[in-house]
Amino acid sequence: MQQYLLTILILLPVAGAIALAAHGLVAPYRRESHYRWIALGFTIATFALSLLLLSGGIGEDATGAFKFVQNVPWIGAIGAGYHVGVDGISLWLVLLTTLLMPIAILSSWNAVEKRSLAYYASLLILEGAMIGVFVALDLLVFYLFFEASLVPMFFLIGVWGGQNRVYAAVKFFIYTAVGSLLMLAGIIALYFIHAQQVGFGTFDYVTLFEALREGRMTIGARPEFWLFLAFAIAFAIKVPLFPFHTWLPDAHTEAPTAGSVILAGVLLKMGTYGLLRFNFALFPGMSRYFAPLMITLAVIGIIYGALVAMVQPDVKRLVAYSSVSHMGFVMLGLFSFTEQGMQGALYQMLNHGVSTGALFLLVGMIYERRHTRMIADFGGLAKPMPLFATFIVFASLSSVGLPLLNGFVGEFLIMLGMWNSGFDYAWIATMLAATGVIWAAVYMLWMLQRVLFGRVTNAHNARLPDLNAREIGLLAPLLALMLLMGAYPQPFLNRSRGSVEQVRVRVAAPHTGGTFTAGVDKSSNVTGDR
Amino acid sequence: MNLSLAFQLMAQPDVNFALILPEVIVSIAGVLVMMVDAFSRRADQRWATGGLSLAGLLGAAGACLWLWSGGAGERVTAFNGMVVLDRLRLSFTLVFIIVSALTVLISMIWVERERLPAGEFHSLLLFATAGMMLMASGGDLVIVFLGLEVLSIATYVMAGFRRTDTRSNESSLKYFILGSFSSAFLLYGIALVYGGTAVNTPGGISAGTTNISEIAARLDDGMYPPLIFAGAAMMLVGFGFKIATAPFHVWTPDVYEGAPTPVTAFMAAGPKAAGFAAFMRVFLFAFPFAVAATGTATSAQVHAAWLGALSVIAILTMTVGNVVALVQRNVKRMLAYSSIAHAGYALVGFVAAGATGDATQQSDAVAAVVFYLLAYALMNLGAFAVVTMIARGGDRRTEIEDYYGIGFRAPVLSFALSIFLLSLLGVPLTAGFMGKVVVFREALSQGFASGNQLLVALVVIGVLNTAVSVYYYLGLIVAMFFRERTTEWSAPRVPASISVTLALTVLGVFYLGIFPGRVIDAFRSVQTTAVTRLK
Repeated sequence: MQQYLLTILILLPVAGAIALAAHGLVAPYRRESHYRWIALGFTIATFALSLLLLSGGIGEDATGAFKFVQNVPWIGAIGAGYHVGVDGISLWLVLLTTLLMPIAILSSWNAVEKRSLAYYASLLILEGAMIGVFVALDLLVFYLFFEASLVPMFFLIGVWGGQNRVYAAVKFFIYTAVGSLLMLAGIIALYFIHAQQVGFGTFDYVTLFEALREGRMTIGARPEFWLFLAFAIAFAIKVPLFPFHTWLPDAHTEAPTAGSVILAGVLLKMGTYGLLRFNFALFPGMSRYFAPLMITLAVIGIIYGALVAMVQPDVKRLVAYSSVSHMGFVMLGLFSFTEQGMQGALYQMLNHGVSTGALFLLVGMIYERRHTRMIADFGGLAKPMPLFATFIVFASLSSVGLPLLNGFVGEFLIMLGMWNSGFDYAWIATMLAATGVIWAAVYMLWMLQRVLFGRVTNAHNARLPDLNAREIGLLAPLLALMLLMGAYPQPFLNRSRGSVEQVRVRVAAPHTGGTFTAGVDKSSNVTGDR
Repeated sequence: MNLSLAFQLMAQPDVNFALILPEVIVSIAGVLVMMVDAFSRRADQRWATGGLSLAGLLGAAGACLWLWSGGAGERVTAFNGMVVLDRLRLSFTLVFIIVSALTVLISMIWVERERLPAGEFHSLLLFATAGMMLMASGGDLVIVFLGLEVLSIATYVMAGFRRTDTRSNESSLKYFILGSFSSAFLLYGIALVYGGTAVNTPGGISAGTTNISEIAARLDDGMYPPLIFAGAAMMLVGFGFKIATAPFHVWTPDVYEGAPTPVTAFMAAGPKAAGFAAFMRVFLFAFPFAVAATGTATSAQVHAAWLGALSVIAILTMTVGNVVALVQRNVKRMLAYSSIAHAGYALVGFVAAGATGDATQQSDAVAAVVFYLLAYALMNLGAFAVVTMIARGGDRRTEIEDYYGIGFRAPVLSFALSIFLLSLLGVPLTAGFMGKVVVFREALSQGFASGNQLLVALVVIGVLNTAVSVYYYLGLIVAMFFRERTTEWSAPRVPASISVTLALTVLGVFYLGIFPGRVIDAFRSVQTTAVTRLK
């Protein structure tokens, strides 16, 4: 059972999609509401199963080893294997995915009226692909899931999206698909480098990582430069890092609520996860070489995202731009190469999934009632909808980083890590990033003030119904998580420490092969004594 | 050929009918279909001839698998080297059979709708298949040419099969004129090589040869090396035309657009694969890899020349196909340009096969190309099956506008077409993705092993081209699912034959995309080639 659990987690949602299709084919004139119950059933079952991962002893030792591993040959002819496993880095991301999915399904309960079969099937297939991305330990399998997750999202945006959905969907697909194509060439190139130096080709992440760590395989500086870029561009587009971010506001704004939640909550994390897992571990020399550039872009992203968010007239677009800012923090933490920074980045990924997910849900709820998201159309919503107001204030404060809520822990760790990173001018980056927190407070609170408080200016808003039981039910777990993760982060951080440390030791230590050495402090040689 | 040798051959004819069993079965089936056509009632004609064609193809597939299981992959020849048996031939033969069988299935509804003589169509299709098989099995340029002509003449007629439609007539005529021209190029090339391989023996000047392995053996001893260069160049043009490579692709869009849709489906998958089979057979084995140690020798020069030319052609073909496809508004034209682009991707594998002297690696690269063409055949035929259904009678509705908003009104057709388009685009889990991976993998493998930067560049250009192609494949999906339809439209009823086609092709696309191992392993083998002699 242990070794099949991850495969079951990937296939169960896909089985749900097949069940939906079968239901549609066998009994096409049944009531459409059956579909959402089937989808909900399968996602809840997946979530329940994924909780078993917590029992596997992940992160209880410091080695950060992979658990629940299944490793079988897949395509003998080209040396690809089906290798999946979970460690402290991917554990929480998998759980985040499986938790957000039933919430996303519940959020579309009444919102999706047309073609609900295809809608829920797309969501379920998407879930399978996303879990696959986080547990894949074979580069080809990873690429496969990475790309496969695009297709259902493309349909979700394009069919069930807003006014400008075709443009947004095509832009989303082209940006991310094109970005990852070069990664495929990079993956194949890694295969041959391993084949040349070790004697057999492999796409297996663990094998490649061990070979590199033990010096059986070295990548020359020039190939490593290009390999790093091939992987990093694919991930930077997904994150999105500053100059590659333009697809995000369109996609987020046009996507249906569940799509935005998944997009912000999970899909963006594939980028930062990929950087942490693959770029850092496989190309540590170039990761160090590119760190100043990445940190600069991350800081630009933090401030730029916040400033643009401030002037958005559309709440959903505001939240979308705030994602650019928040993901900048994650990048900053990752490239600090310190334990605090990287742990904080991982934590911030979860935080962002929870808080931004909740914000998108809340925006979706108000949109369902008023069919507008313009800040100017609202005002004084706290009066007719007190519960809604409480919830959105809570989620916004979490997103802003109020102490005792989750956002604070992540951002604090990230800035601490950056400050201690030992990079030249690290303090400038930290200070600039810190202003991002202030900007976040400005745009969020200003938005809240205009939407919630003051007099009810628009008569349509005067008698809006407050949140119903279903809506409270789907928000409650997220709010509880915000509080829990803010007040007691230790259990979360403990689980991931060992695995993050494995990568950090690699990337923080100057080592042979592929280092341009310029600006790298050779004396700070941290040895992997853990 | 001197007289005594001729007598000797007559006395001991190297006849082995078992080796040409698939060809024989398909030809006999073709003749039987004509007979049945003549004596059966009009009403049940298409089922009788279609069933018979399928049975014939199934028999040929059985014979093919029987031959497959018989040998360990080493090369066997018969009829004095006229026919060879190796993995290249068998794997291509299997691709042809699959293409023809699917074409029969697609054509069932079409011949009914257009009230066309089913028997004639099916017998032409079977003869074309026999021609394709001969192209793959020919061990002699004459047989290759014979196969090509059998295929071409049948295809010319099929392209003009809708006699009353001017577009179909135009397509047929254009294909005929340009096709004959290219055949002439090929034939002239064969003649020049024959002249070029005349060698000076103790007994006097011998005649030239058209036997492929014999050509390879004589390259360096030929009396007139320039003739070999000119001949190889002419053949390159002839084959380049058949598989629609840029700059010899100009006929393709018009012919594909005008031809009846099932015929277009067949032409894009079958004859193209056959062209590749013959192209690879001739150039890999008649002008094989030759090491630079024999630097000034003709063999090395010819090899370097054709490999360089082919690399340029591959780059041009990928780029032209994808870039021009971007602006097409007609689905059949778009798929025509897409087929040009896919020939370019497959050529990358061909170049990889040509760039190595190692028999195993070469056979792996050839296997990758065959796998690619099989994947392409499945997704292409599936896509055209849907296009046939949407086009309705007279092939009228083939503009992209005709696909607006049909997504949820004809969900089976639209989702199937989307799967094929995503596979053509190369999205993971589909055959198209796996095809690209294996082809690019072979090219990078050669590139890394030999330090050949050109191959790495080919792969990078291929990847960039894939990026370009995202736009037009997505465009059709967008049209189907995201656009609203303003005009009246009712979904076509999907007949059983098309359902079977779609089921087979969708399953095939996913099977090759997820579990390609067995198929690739079956296609690859250690082939004893002329190469080993030269090393």
